[in-house]
Amino acid sequence: MKKIVPLIFLLSTSSAMAIDSPITGQVQPKCSVWTETSGVYGHPLPYKLSTVPADGGVPASIRIDVAQADYYKAKFTHPNSFSSSPTLNDAVAWTGSTVVGQVSVSDMSAYEAAKVTYNNVTEFNLTLAGSTWFTVASTAQYGSTKSLPAGNYTALIVAECIAK
Amino acid sequence: MYRQVIIAVCLCSSLHAHEMTPAYPKLESSYIKGVSVTNLKIFNRRSDVSWYEIGVFTDNWKPVPFASTANIIEVGYNKKKIFDVYIRSRDIAKAVYICTESKVFKGKEQVTLIASRICSKIKK
Repeated sequence: MKKIVPLIFLLSTSSAMAIDSPITGQVQPKCSVWTETSGVYGHPLPYKLSTVPADGGVPASIRIDVAQADYYKAKFTHPNSFSSSPTLNDAVAWTGSTVVGQVSVSDMSAYEAAKVTYNNVTEFNLTLAGSTWFTVASTAQYGSTKSLPAGNYTALIVAECIAK
Repeated sequence: MYRQVIIAVCLCSSLHAHEMTPAYPKLESSYIKGVSVTNLKIFNRRSDVSWYEIGVFTDNWKPVPFASTANIIEVGYNKKKIFDVYIRSRDIAKAVYICTESKVFKGKEQVTLIASRICSKIKK
């Protein structure tokens, strides 16, 4: 009897605790910009800085996730100036590119053919839901073939996700 | 098994994200006459960034005057922040995008920095 009473008490308590506890969530158009790898400039020649792997650099890798198809476009601006550098007395010639890397949905590889490029900007129409990795490369050549002054160089890539 | 988990953790820890919702915010009348307001939510998963600049732009990316608690807001790592954007009624017709852009610090190495910008389109 001594054992049964507490048992009944426990059972009655646990049944009283059993209430509905709903988990709520909301799915809405959303874009996330993931900066996976910041690029690193290699210095293959005295006058050249480059993120191209063949030049000893590391290109930037940016992932864009969209939760719903066809709500956003992605826009990447590769650098055309240094955000910090030693004093430079000659012009710098900039080149760069943005290409589609890995994709979570195979049809996303069509983004590459449909991209629009102008100046130092590349735009992609994100028509499918999922993740797309973009690789942004940048190269800077100083003067005609002048040696770059010693120091640290940084340049800015802008990755944008814009609602359509 | 453990090695896979460690690799996954290492890969995840190097990831940084910037999110903003809703994609199509709707302006509503505010408590100030002649001023409309909308609110947005920013989520910062970039450990390298704590500050984001708010901007309102036309269809041609010309800035539109607006008010918020601050033009540059601090959002801690893995934190979200809800902020209001106030736009004068006379500017509503030309205001198209509300954006947040990460503010990155100048690096000390030979790197390319990545600024992320997300723009929502005002629902008309």
